Amino acid sequence: MAVTKEEVAEAIYEIVKEYQGKKKFKASDLTKAMIQKYGEAEVDKKLCKAAIRILMDSGRCVYTYFGGSFIELPPEEGVER
Amino acid sequence: MATERRTDIGPPNYQNFLPSVIKKNYGKWKYHEILRPGVMVHVAESGDKLFTVRAGSPRLMSIHRIRKFADLADKYCDGHLRFTSRNNVEFLLTDDSKIDALIADLKELGHPVGGIGNAISNIVHTQGWVHCHSAATDASGIVKAVMDDLHEYFTGKEMPGKLRIALACCLNMCGAVHCSDIAILGIHRRPPRILGGLNKVCEIPNVIASCPTAAIRPATVEGQATVEIDEENCMFCANCFSVCPALPMADALNDGVSIWVGGKVSNARSEPTFSKLAIPFLPNNPPRWPEVVEAVRNIVEVWHKNARNFERMGEFINRIGWPRFFKLTGIEFQKEHIDDFKYAGLSYKRSVQLRH
Amino acid sequence: MAEPGKNGTPMLDELEKGPWPSFVTQIKEAAEKNKMSKALLSLLERSYHERIGHWKHGGIVGVMGYGGGVIGRYSDLPEEYPDIAHFHTLRVNMPTGWFYTSDALRTICDIWERHGSGLTNMHGSTGDIILLGTTTDELEPTFAELTANDFDLGGSGSDMRTPSACVGPARCEWACYDTLALAYDLTQTFQDELHRPAFPYKFKFKCAGCPNDCVASIARADMSIIGTWRDEIQIDQKEVKAAEEAGLNIQRDVCNLCPTKCIEWDGKKLEIDDENCVKCMHCINTMPKALRPGKDRGATILLGAKAPIVEGALLSSVLVPFTKIEPPYEELKDMVERIWDFWSEHGKNRERVGELMQRVGLGNFLEAIEVEPTPEMLAHPRENPYVFYEEYYEEGDEEEEEEEE
Repeated sequence: MAVTKEEVAEAIYEIVKEYQGKKKFKASDLTKAMIQKYGEAEVDKKLCKAAIRILMDSGRCVYTYFGGSFIELPPEEGVER
Repeated sequence: MATERRTDIGPPNYQNFLPSVIKKNYGKWKYHEILRPGVMVHVAESGDKLFTVRAGSPRLMSIHRIRKFADLADKYCDGHLRFTSRNNVEFLLTDDSKIDALIADLKELGHPVGGIGNAISNIVHTQGWVHCHSAATDASGIVKAVMDDLHEYFTGKEMPGKLRIALACCLNMCGAVHCSDIAILGIHRRPPRILGGLNKVCEIPNVIASCPTAAIRPATVEGQATVEIDEENCMFCANCFSVCPALPMADALNDGVSIWVGGKVSNARSEPTFSKLAIPFLPNNPPRWPEVVEAVRNIVEVWHKNARNFERMGEFINRIGWPRFFKLTGIEFQKEHIDDFKYAGLSYKRSVQLRH
Repeated sequence: MAEPGKNGTPMLDELEKGPWPSFVTQIKEAAEKNKMSKALLSLLERSYHERIGHWKHGGIVGVMGYGGGVIGRYSDLPEEYPDIAHFHTLRVNMPTGWFYTSDALRTICDIWERHGSGLTNMHGSTGDIILLGTTTDELEPTFAELTANDFDLGGSGSDMRTPSACVGPARCEWACYDTLALAYDLTQTFQDELHRPAFPYKFKFKCAGCPNDCVASIARADMSIIGTWRDEIQIDQKEVKAAEEAGLNIQRDVCNLCPTKCIEWDGKKLEIDDENCVKCMHCINTMPKALRPGKDRGATILLGAKAPIVEGALLSSVLVPFTKIEPPYEELKDMVERIWDFWSEHGKNRERVGELMQRVGLGNFLEAIEVEPTPEMLAHPRENPYVFYEEYYEEGDEEEEEEEE
């Protein structure tokens, strides 16, 4: 595959950033968006998983939980959001 | 820090925690016998014996108490113990001459021994007011009060069969109480309040989609996007609150407890089945919930007195019929007993096989 | 409000009375040395007076890189109870089967003494060790110490939860497969699914060694793996007689309670029509010395149990009537992956696999995960005649088909 996991990670980050505070995405939403963006020949679920892991392990994104797990930018911590 | 970080290692391998008698006889047990309340022996093909002493625990335990358990394990069991799926502690011995001393030490520490065979075992339960954001009642407090009252059934009073009690402090049922002989379930009865600024905390389409009866609709209040709730269609599941913290359900005036009966998970004799509603509502009456304690005892006693050998609560009720269950227990039958959700029709009586 | 030592905890004190061990005593024991537990005592006393909880959602805390294992919790009265303004829970993988050495228990206690409230649940509903209450700042240090001592976090949110198992072959003669080995293997194989939520909602495995189902898998696990056998129950006729002599009424309490009436006792010999035995365990439970499960052992795999939220509670239903359960469990894991793929693709937010199975229909679900339908999956065939046939013939179709052949 020509697309690298780092590139996919950047593309995912851009989506999350753009919609931060407007829409929450699950891992599967982002995977579907990437497959749509790059095509099934270029990107598969495994690659997206690896890309999400890059974002998580670097702390650029975090998992949040609101009746389901979502991927978001690290929020300012506090009781009220 | 990132380079040192260990992740994804899973739990320690259980094999390192097994006593040597188990390692030696793993998968080669022949039979077991209950020697007395809370004590059983497993006999291996090899002839080796493993004695288990089961003690009740409050589940919520301090590290100081757990260390005391560790000390007892060192003193009597070569440092080995386990916990059960119902939050009991089990001490595993190879020398039966130590059993009496262990039981005495456990009693001294305040932990009754029992819960094996035809007994009321520990009550599986949830966090309640100790730690949960969606609780409609406390968990530990009711469990303590009910187990105080039913204590004798844990420690050895003879019973027709097994009886399993579980408690969940709301419909999320972290304690999956829905298949218990007796289930104590916290319930809300007031539709969620809608806090201001909801649209800043929650995605409105998600909130609307979360309602299983489609009772939540988009609305605009003072120029702000929010939701409105068709209160007639709210059945207080609190799924919307799980998705959106701006829709709190808890309400001191309306929250309380319901009692369900006749469920089981074991396949023995009859198939696994859900518990059914016995008492729609009892008040939250801390610290000891006397109404709940009395209701549970009443149901236990009716079963205890009338059930045949080995009959679980649900099997007993199936034999005598639900009308007679209500009569024997003196529980008032109400409209709330009739299901009105998805598969309600399946619970209607469709025959004239009635006892008059 | 009520501060222990000031106004005391009169309501909670009531719950230190009586014979059953008291959770209040436990909180007090911890409170002697820990200010969080002390504050918890006050706040709980207040809840008892007000008849309402004082905890809030906290959906944003965790340890770096993981999306599960930490339940964020905040008091709604942070100014009055600053010591428990944060009171997060860590879920820690229990050793499979809940076996411990005293050293392992002490290790956990020591870590939790340094970093948290000193309160635990042994264990949580899914089976994890629950470390109850700490601050956001303590999460990473606690995690570091846990992993340094070979413990890891469990799941929360839309991920796999720590698989649990009954005591199995470690101490039960009825274990029809090695529940501990399977649960441990699944836990290790699916570490990513456990720690990085990527599903529509939670997914639980529970491994029960026999149809008594001591881990309640049929009620509580999305995938319930329940041990069973497919040959003859092993009978020791001498022990049957001994059981009767010891006072068991075999006709009344064993034969008459057999769900398929496939067991007969003439006072000398116990006979079982094994072809009609549904492996309910009753006779074996009743005479553990005389009867044992058969030798050709394996498991029934069932799918879909859950509590009421959202669409109503479900029990698991049969997916694979019988299969051998042997390492490396490839067939089982392949099927799990196919189920997760389909669910991840089609499941709605917060839709459990059992709900999805009902929404799309079991027949379609089976097709999607490449499992052949069998009559064992149903209590009975359909009663309603509204069948969704997917294709129909047009005039002339038959000839075309023949031509193709």
